[in-house]
Amino acid sequence: MPWKTNYTISDEISLSDRGIVWPDHNRCCFNVVVDLSLASGPEGLLPSDLATADSVFAMGVGLAGLLDVLTSHEIVATFAVPAAMVKIYPEAIEAVLKQGHEVAAEGLFHEDVSPFSLEEERARMKAATSLLSEAIGSRPAGWYDLPRRRDKFAVGAISPYTTKLLVEEGYTYMGNCPADDAPHYSVTDFATAEAIVAMPYYYHFDDQFFMLYPRQGSGLENPDILFRNWRAEFAAQYKRGRFFSMTLHPGNVGWCNRLYLLDQFLDFVRSRPNVWNAVSRDCADYWTSKYPAATHLKLEPSVWKDYPGSLS
Amino acid sequence: MLYRRILNEPALQLAKGEFGGRVGIWRLIELFDSHAIKATIFTPGRICELYPRALRQAVASDHELADHMWEHRVPREAALEADHLQKALAALTAIRGKPVSGTRSGHTNSLLKQSGILYKSDNSAGHLPHYIADKTGKNTLLNLPFHYAIDDAQFYTFGWLGSDGPAQRMSDPDRVLEMWWAAFLQQYNKGGYLNVCLHPYVSGRALRIEMLDQLIRRMKSLPGVWFSTCEETATWCVKHFPARRLTS
Repeated sequence: MPWKTNYTISDEISLSDRGIVWPDHNRCCFNVVVDLSLASGPEGLLPSDLATADSVFAMGVGLAGLLDVLTSHEIVATFAVPAAMVKIYPEAIEAVLKQGHEVAAEGLFHEDVSPFSLEEERARMKAATSLLSEAIGSRPAGWYDLPRRRDKFAVGAISPYTTKLLVEEGYTYMGNCPADDAPHYSVTDFATAEAIVAMPYYYHFDDQFFMLYPRQGSGLENPDILFRNWRAEFAAQYKRGRFFSMTLHPGNVGWCNRLYLLDQFLDFVRSRPNVWNAVSRDCADYWTSKYPAATHLKLEPSVWKDYPGSLS
Repeated sequence: MLYRRILNEPALQLAKGEFGGRVGIWRLIELFDSHAIKATIFTPGRICELYPRALRQAVASDHELADHMWEHRVPREAALEADHLQKALAALTAIRGKPVSGTRSGHTNSLLKQSGILYKSDNSAGHLPHYIADKTGKNTLLNLPFHYAIDDAQFYTFGWLGSDGPAQRMSDPDRVLEMWWAAFLQQYNKGGYLNVCLHPYVSGRALRIEMLDQLIRRMKSLPGVWFSTCEETATWCVKHFPARRLTS
């Protein structure tokens, strides 16, 4: 068995805090990801997801409010967009791009690709890339597969082929990976050490798990807990000189008191000097040039043995 | 992450665990070293193959390596159970440079005793360290009580122990700090014992390292707190309070 396939996606030790340097003497990288998907479950965007008052709010008042708050703090964000959305909400995509935000891909319909064959997944990725390229005017640099409300796990679902296909399709980065809290490499082939840079994601900084999760009536409405997590993580990562990323949904964070908390949090972030607010594309580009996989991805030879009665 | 693999969970779930090996364990070692606290690291044997460097660092800093099963499960078949325990102890002993004396597992007491294990830390029949025998009334081991209310994963891990969406109650470090401080104070006031369970993939996150730093500072502000490894505690208890009523 080559190295630690099926156990790990990256190398053994993360880059240390001291080993990380950001551009222009900045101390910490601050990254905002907005999930523009309206999909509620693994099947991805369905007509029934669009026909709700919540979706009207998300893509109308919610998105407008979120864009206003980001603009008022001069924050740029990466918007993860299921390709089909560019046909359904062309004006929204236009508004996002006009304000200088990045648009990245989030599948064709933000569907769980893990049940598909390699050919089916490749065809969907090509179709998504083509739709988004047309809307953006250039190829998207990044690909997300963020968790949906009805997903079993809070990490996002990719297939064993996804990262390999991303390299094949010329993507610069994979958007969400919980193996580190700084950018890191997701290995697509351990034998040749081929890898793609992955941006950190962690569900404790994702609004959907704290705002009427998993559905109305659960009573799980804890924006104050989310706010404390954002604040504590940003303060700690700033101290380390590392990286912070949060994930927002206009339909969640765009609502009244929640938007107020986001506004307060962004005040807190901006009160610190030397914070590099980077969209994921710029951060991934910086990472691959400053810390290329060729010199910074350290894969060791395998020591794993197969034993009867043990995992292979 | 071994447990995630056993459950056949998808790639990014394994990557969630991978944070513990690549990042979290290093931060915990650094935190404990900065406070001159020696910790016990209950380690699945196969982690010796996945993250040997972090374990060697833990040993170099004089932390205790103890058993947490070979692959995070106890096989039902007796022969395979013995095989797994033997493999885990051999792997950990090789890195530790001396035998392992404790376990956090549901391994059978008789097998543990035969393998030279002194203590378990597996559940909480009482606040204080206590002895547990098996169903035959024999094979006594010391148990250092571990409770889910003092376990980080309970408060921070999505889908802990198979819980579903509506059951999630993900919390924040401020709240857990106060909860654990109250648990500590209650035991401190009566001269008791508190065993804090941390997972590197959970508590190794930057925001929680900060919270643990605060918790340790508060504990250190009070006189007479013994920050001991499980091995040190067990050795002391066995010497001063030997099992009298239970047969060995």
